[in-house]
Amino acid sequence: MSENDKFYVERCLDGHPDDFRYLVRRYQGVLLANLAGKLGSRDRAEEAAQEALVRAYFNMGKLRKPDSFFSWLLGIADHVAKEHQRKEQIQRQREIVRSFAEESSGIELSQDYALESAIAELPEAYRKVILLRYYGGHNCNQIAEQLDMPLGTVTKTLSRAYALLRESLQQQKQAEVYEVSQ
Amino acid sequence: MKCTESKELLVAYVEGILEGSEKQAVAEHLKDCPACQAELQELTGLHDRLVTNGKALAQSNLEKDVMNQVIREQNVRLKAATRATDALKIRRTIMKSPITRIAAVAAVIIVAALGINYIMAPSVTWAQVIEPILNARTIVFDLILGTDDTGTVAHEIVVGSRMRRIMSNMPNMTMIIDMDNAKLLGLDTEAKTAIYVDIEGDLGDRTRNYIKFVRQIIGQLQDGQVEELGERVIDGQKAIGFVGRGQNEEVRIWADPETALPIRIEAQIGQEFSFIMKNFEFNAAVDESLVSMDVPDGYTLQKTDIDLGNSTEEDFVESLRIWAEIIGDGTFPEAIGTQNAMKQMPVLVQKVTAMQVSEEKGTQIGMGFAKGMLFHQILESQGAWNYAGAGVKLGDAGKAIFWYQPQGSQTYRVIYGDLSVKDVAAEDLPK
Repeated sequence: MSENDKFYVERCLDGHPDDFRYLVRRYQGVLLANLAGKLGSRDRAEEAAQEALVRAYFNMGKLRKPDSFFSWLLGIADHVAKEHQRKEQIQRQREIVRSFAEESSGIELSQDYALESAIAELPEAYRKVILLRYYGGHNCNQIAEQLDMPLGTVTKTLSRAYALLRESLQQQKQAEVYEVSQ
Repeated sequence: MKCTESKELLVAYVEGILEGSEKQAVAEHLKDCPACQAELQELTGLHDRLVTNGKALAQSNLEKDVMNQVIREQNVRLKAATRATDALKIRRTIMKSPITRIAAVAAVIIVAALGINYIMAPSVTWAQVIEPILNARTIVFDLILGTDDTGTVAHEIVVGSRMRRIMSNMPNMTMIIDMDNAKLLGLDTEAKTAIYVDIEGDLGDRTRNYIKFVRQIIGQLQDGQVEELGERVIDGQKAIGFVGRGQNEEVRIWADPETALPIRIEAQIGQEFSFIMKNFEFNAAVDESLVSMDVPDGYTLQKTDIDLGNSTEEDFVESLRIWAEIIGDGTFPEAIGTQNAMKQMPVLVQKVTAMQVSEEKGTQIGMGFAKGMLFHQILESQGAWNYAGAGVKLGDAGKAIFWYQPQGSQTYRVIYGDLSVKDVAAEDLPK
């Protein structure tokens, strides 16, 4: 599975649906990380990731540049996440109406929800680099190739992403302290 | 190296992508700078956290689920595409298809899928034993038209407003009926052909599943009309019986005295129409696909222009002709009516096939028979008819074979052995 995305996209379009599995393998972690932060639980993230992948498969014909598969897939996932969030919001509103004593707890957060939600909040350029690096198993050279940017830009983006993540995690912590002390 | 420079490179340092001299310089600076050391620790912490989380998420396996879903949806889409292509091939398919079977299915639809459109004065419901009949969401049972347990059995699966029916004398024909949308899917499991029949309008209005029919009757019987029949052994089981009598109908329900669940229901409506229901299973777990209105895999959808609209006396006369000429080899049958028509269906299919008529003609015959029986079934619910054709030869103008009084008419319509029809006053009717 060392072929690039373009190769597999074209294989799928040529009528080899089975080759889609290599793209699933390559990006499932990335999608989960991206979605877990947005949706809050592992189960929901898995559900949405699956949906995004299936949607991607059936819309592959609309992908104009096969080598930008990743960005395109991420866009689909973000869209799915928004739909799910909207559905959940409606559901939660209903639940609130049913019993307003209940807080929106009972959701099983994933292992490191704080980190995931911080990633989810990153501007897209930074999010992509973090996702590819730590969830997609790409090294910096591969990211440079994937996102079509010089290696120096990748390391700079990565540095900046670290800074943003730290900031965001710091804020979350303060918010927690504030909540506890209330 | 200054702190600002060092800090810019720290992430790259943690990532291990710094080259010789830069890496060296950062390492040197770190030795003497506690601030950058602290920074490095922070960054390493975050790095490890990202790596750990990345590994945790990478362990999940969406591959199987995604691929299964892709394959499944792919098949559905392909099928939809094939169906569209099928529509173009219909002409050819129709020429090859054993059309008499479809005509038969159409006829079976009429004589078996209908109950009687029945309107009675509303009143209160009665006993505990009718509760499951009234409220079960799924009911599986065997239906026998007539009063004879050895008669043709229809195995019925009723799920909400959908039902699936297979007749014991035509085991290759399956009918799935969607009451809500007035649609019927007929499946020939041998020829692997399927047809959709629109049963909207007059036909749909008269289409009842028998459960609904029984519900209607028992729902409208008045308390005083229900009698207890005591205990008896029914179908090898101890049972307690009730009989409800309406103006024109009688329903006997035999139920398990322990559970109050019905074991057997016998209904008699009008003079000729009766049925038995038994081998009940209430609220059984039924695979919903059994009542799916989709054409199953491997079946060819046949296009049909089945017009089962309002049937007239003329249609009825035609069905009598078919009955005498084709089924009876020139003689009118012993009796007519739904359950008799049911029994004769396989004979009709067989004879029409043997006649080697064109597909068009075959359909015409099947449809004609069905449509005429529909007319008779409507009469059945009104009660005022008489059949006297047993043994009469087709063409015998001297013998009246059937008469009835149309609603709102003073006189009777009489059909003779030569299939001529006359208006006759009540006093001039054959004795």
